[in-house]
Amino acid sequence: MARFIFRSVISTIVTMFLVSLALFLLVEVGSGDITVKILGVFATPEQRASYRAQLGLDQPWYIRYLDWLVGNDWRVRSRIGHPLVAVPNPQTKELEWWAQVDGQLVRWEMREGHLFALVRQPDGSVLEQPADDQWQQTPEGKEIFWGVNTKNSAVKWVRGEGEEVYVLTSAGMRKEGDGPQQYIPLRKGLLRGDPGTSLQTGRPVSVTLFPRVRNTAILAGMAFVVVMPLALILGIIAGINEGRLVDRAISVSSLALTATPEFVTGVFLILIFGIWLKIVPAVSVFLSDRAIFENPQLLILPILTLTAVELGYIVRMTRASMVEVMNAPYIRTAILKGLPYWQVVLRHAVRNALMAPITVIMLHVNWLVGGIVVVEAVFGFPGLGSYIFDSAIFGDFNAIEAAAMLLVSIAVFTRLVGDLLYTFLNPRIRYS
Amino acid sequence: MKDQRTGKRLHPAILDAQSALRQGRISRREFMRFATLLGASVATATALAACGPAAPTEAPTEAPTEGAAPETSTPAGSVGGIKRGGTLRKAMQLQRIDHPARMSWVEAANVVRQVAEYLTVTGPDNITRPYLLESWEASDDVQTWTLNLRKGITFNNGDELTADDVIFTFSQWLDEDVGSSMLGLISYWGGIENVEKVDDYTIRLHLESPNIAVPEHLFHYPAVILHRDFEGDFIKQPVGTGAFTLAEYAEGERAVLKRREDYWRMGEDGQPLPYLDEIIYVAIDKDAAVAAIQSGQIDSIYQPRPSDWLALKDIPGIAVHSASTAQCFLVRVRVDLEPWDDNRVRTALKKCQDREKILQLSYFGEGDLSIDAHVAPVHPEYCEQPIPPYDPEGARALLEEYAAEKGIELPLKVTLATKNDEAEPEIAQALKELAEPAGFDIALDITEPNGYWDRWTEVDLGITAWTHRPLGIMVLPLAYIADEEGNPVPWNETRWVDEEFTTLLRKAERTLDVEARREIMCDLETIMQERGPIGNSYWKKVWNITREEFKNVVAHPTSYDLLYEVWKDA
Repeated sequence: MARFIFRSVISTIVTMFLVSLALFLLVEVGSGDITVKILGVFATPEQRASYRAQLGLDQPWYIRYLDWLVGNDWRVRSRIGHPLVAVPNPQTKELEWWAQVDGQLVRWEMREGHLFALVRQPDGSVLEQPADDQWQQTPEGKEIFWGVNTKNSAVKWVRGEGEEVYVLTSAGMRKEGDGPQQYIPLRKGLLRGDPGTSLQTGRPVSVTLFPRVRNTAILAGMAFVVVMPLALILGIIAGINEGRLVDRAISVSSLALTATPEFVTGVFLILIFGIWLKIVPAVSVFLSDRAIFENPQLLILPILTLTAVELGYIVRMTRASMVEVMNAPYIRTAILKGLPYWQVVLRHAVRNALMAPITVIMLHVNWLVGGIVVVEAVFGFPGLGSYIFDSAIFGDFNAIEAAAMLLVSIAVFTRLVGDLLYTFLNPRIRYS
Repeated sequence: MKDQRTGKRLHPAILDAQSALRQGRISRREFMRFATLLGASVATATALAACGPAAPTEAPTEAPTEGAAPETSTPAGSVGGIKRGGTLRKAMQLQRIDHPARMSWVEAANVVRQVAEYLTVTGPDNITRPYLLESWEASDDVQTWTLNLRKGITFNNGDELTADDVIFTFSQWLDEDVGSSMLGLISYWGGIENVEKVDDYTIRLHLESPNIAVPEHLFHYPAVILHRDFEGDFIKQPVGTGAFTLAEYAEGERAVLKRREDYWRMGEDGQPLPYLDEIIYVAIDKDAAVAAIQSGQIDSIYQPRPSDWLALKDIPGIAVHSASTAQCFLVRVRVDLEPWDDNRVRTALKKCQDREKILQLSYFGEGDLSIDAHVAPVHPEYCEQPIPPYDPEGARALLEEYAAEKGIELPLKVTLATKNDEAEPEIAQALKELAEPAGFDIALDITEPNGYWDRWTEVDLGITAWTHRPLGIMVLPLAYIADEEGNPVPWNETRWVDEEFTTLLRKAERTLDVEARREIMCDLETIMQERGPIGNSYWKKVWNITREEFKNVVAHPTSYDLLYEVWKDA
C-alpha cells in the first residue's frame, strides 16, 4: 500500500511538472502581445516596450519559467548585495519586497537624477534618505545602482543616462531618464508558495484565485452531494428491475436529461423559476464576497442544472453494471441458496456493480471543479472554470498556471481516492 | 462684454455666434455648445441665447435626432419628488485598474469617475461644460487657455483641490513612463513645461499649436484629476473629489462604491449629492445579466448589445434610453495597396453600400444613416449632405473600367477582415452580398476581437469600430493625415493622406466660429466622399437599459455612467 501511494506521488510530481511546462509554452506561443490587453490597443510602441520591460517580459522564456517555479530573489541577491525579504504591507497585507541592509529594510527611488533610500521604520512608515553615495562605478565609467524599487522589482538605474533630461516645472514629476534601465520583478516561485501576480488583475494570483476556488468547491460539493447518491440509488433500482416499468421510466427520463445540453436546461430553469415564477434567484449575482453564504439560494438553479446533466450519465452506468452483476451466476446462486433478496442486492451485487460508476464519478469530480464553464457562463457564476477561461483568453500566464496546477492536483488526488475505494470494494486488488 | 456670473471677459467669437443665432443661421443648441466651449458659463450662454431670436429656428426639441429627445427632458415627477437612498446594481466587466491615466477601458473609467472627477464634463447632449473648473478662457488665437479652478472642493481625504493637484495630474499624463493615452491626445500641449501655475486656483496652458478641443480633451476618460500625492495605484489610494468612495474593488468580480457625506455639489433638496447610497458593479456575463435584470437581481446593464436591447426593450419595468453617437463601423481600405490605390475601386466599393439595409441587418435599424465621411450629425460642425444611394451598376461600370485598364477579369477578389464583435460580421456579410453584382468577390476573414486589434492598421480591407468623440475635428487628425515627416500618423489605418484635405483640416482646427468651421467641413466631407478611404453606412445608437424605478437616468454617447443625480423611486 505504501509503495502504491509512493508511486502515485512520484508520478503526480512528474505530471505536474510536465503540465506546467507544456502550459507555459502554450501560453507563450498562443497569446498575443499582453501589453495590448493591459494598455489597450492605442498605446505607442515605446510605451509597450517600456511596460514589457517593467513586467520582466523581455527575459527569455526559460528564465521566466524558472522564476515562476523557484523564484528569483536568490539569483538577484548577488547583484544587489543584500538579502531580499518579502514582508507584508501593514495596510493591504500584500507582500512587499525589501532589501535588508544592516538590519534595516530598504528600498530605493530615483527622482530628478538623485537616488533616495526609503528606510522602513518599525511602525511601518518610511524614512527617506539621500543615497547618491551608493552609486557603483563600472569599468566603462558609468555609475550604476542595483536596488529594489517601490513596485517590487529589482531594477538597475544608470546615472544620468536616458533620453535628454529636461527640468520639469511641477513638483514631484519624474524626469525622463530617471526610469530604470532593467527590471526584474521579484518573486518567490510556486515551489515556495508564491504563484505570482496576475497580469490581468495586477493582484497576487492567490488573492483572486481563492474566492473562485471556494465558490466552485461549494457548488461542486453541493452538486456532488445531491447527484451521486440520487444517481446511484436510481441506477440500482433500475438495474434490479430490469425491463420493468420503473426501469423504463428511470432510463428514459435520465437519458432525456443527459441528452439536453446544460445551456438549454439552464436557460429553461432560469426562465421558468427565475424570471417567470420568481421563486429563486435567476442567475448568480454575487453582490458581496460572502454572497454564497448570505444567500445560498443562489446555488439552487446551478445545482439543478448540474444534476440534470450528471444524473443520467451515472444512472445509466450504474444500471448497466447492476444488470450485468445481477445476471452473474454467483447472484443466482445466492438467491437460490435462499438469502433474502435485499441482502443479496446490498451485500453481494452492489459492491461489485459500483466498480465502473466509481471510476466515472471520480473523473467527474475533476470536471465539476474545472470544466463547468458552460454552466458558469449561463448563470454568471464566478467559479474556477470561468477564471481559467478568462485568464487563457487574456494570456495571463501566472493565473492559468496556478489554476491548472490546482486542477492537476485535484485530478491526481481524486484518482488516488478512486484507487483506494477500489481496494475497499474489491479485495482482489488489495493483494495483487 | 463680461460673463454675468463670473465677471470674466467673453470671447469675441461668442458674440459673433450670438448674432448668428439671432439671424437664425445656427440653432440654439449649437450656440449653447459653442459659447460654453469658449468659456462662457451655461447660465451666461442661456442668457445670451435668450437675447437671441424669438425663433422659428428654435425648435421645441433641441436635439438633432429623435433618439436623443427622451433623456434631455426631465422625467415627469422628478422635480421635488426626489427620494434619497437605495443601491444601484449594474452589470459591467471590471478590469484591472492601477493608474487612472493609464485606463484603456470605459468600464474602468466608470468606476473611477464615481470617486474622482474631471475638469470638464461633456453631457449627454454633447455639450462640454466646466465642472471642477469654474470657467475657462481662450485667447483669440486659441493658443493660450486659462483654467479657473472652482474653490472649496475637497478630496475624500479632506485635502482641498488646488492647482497643484491639477498640475500633478497633467504631469502624469505627459510622463512617458506612465503610459497614458492622454499623452498622444494632448501632444499639442508641447509638454508639462508649457503649463503655468498662475495661482492656487488658476492654471494657464501655453499650447504649442492652437486647438479648440481642450475642454473636450479634459473629459477624455483617463483624465480624472488625481491627488498630488498619488503613487500609481488607484485601488490602494482611491482619493478623489467625487461623490462616492471606493469600498471594494475586486477585478473580475465586483466594485462597491459608498456615498460620501461632504460632496461639493448640492442636490435639488439642498443637501449634498449623490441621491443614491451605494453603487455596486458586478462583473457577470452579458447573457446572465439579461436574465438578472429581468428577475430584478440587478438594475442596469453596461453597454447593452443589440441582442440585449432586443430581449429587453419590451419588458415591463425596464426603461430603455437611447442616444445618437458618432460611433461607427468603418469599411476602410489601405490606399497604399492594390487595388485600393485606385480611387475608382474605392468609389465602387462605397457605391455598394445599401445603407438602410446594412443598418437593418446589422443593427436593427437603431442608428442614423451616414455619408462616407468620418463626421457625424451629432458633431456641431457637421455639414448636412444627401445620403448616397445604393448603386451597383455605377460601381460595376467603374470596376470594369479599372479591370480593362489593368487587363484583369472581374470579379475582383478581395478579402475583408474584421472582428467577431457587435455588428461587424453582419456588415461584412451584407456588404459581401451587396457588392457581388458590382463585380466584387469578397472573402471574409473574421477573427476574435483581439485578433483584429492586433492587426487593425495592417489589413488591406477591414471593418474597424471607431468610438465617439465630441467634435468632428477631433477624429479627422487622428486617422487621415500625416505627421511632420510625411508618414501617416499611427492610427492612420488607411494611409490616406490628401494635401487639400490636410490644409483644410488644419484651417478647421483653428476656426472657432462653428458656422465658418461647418463651411470648411462641407468641403472636407466632399473630399472624403469623392476620394476618401472609408465607407460608413451608419452611426450607431447606444442604449442605457435600467430598471424603471431609477429616475434621472441618461444615456451617454460614450456609455459613461453619470450617476450622481440618479435617484431610486422605491
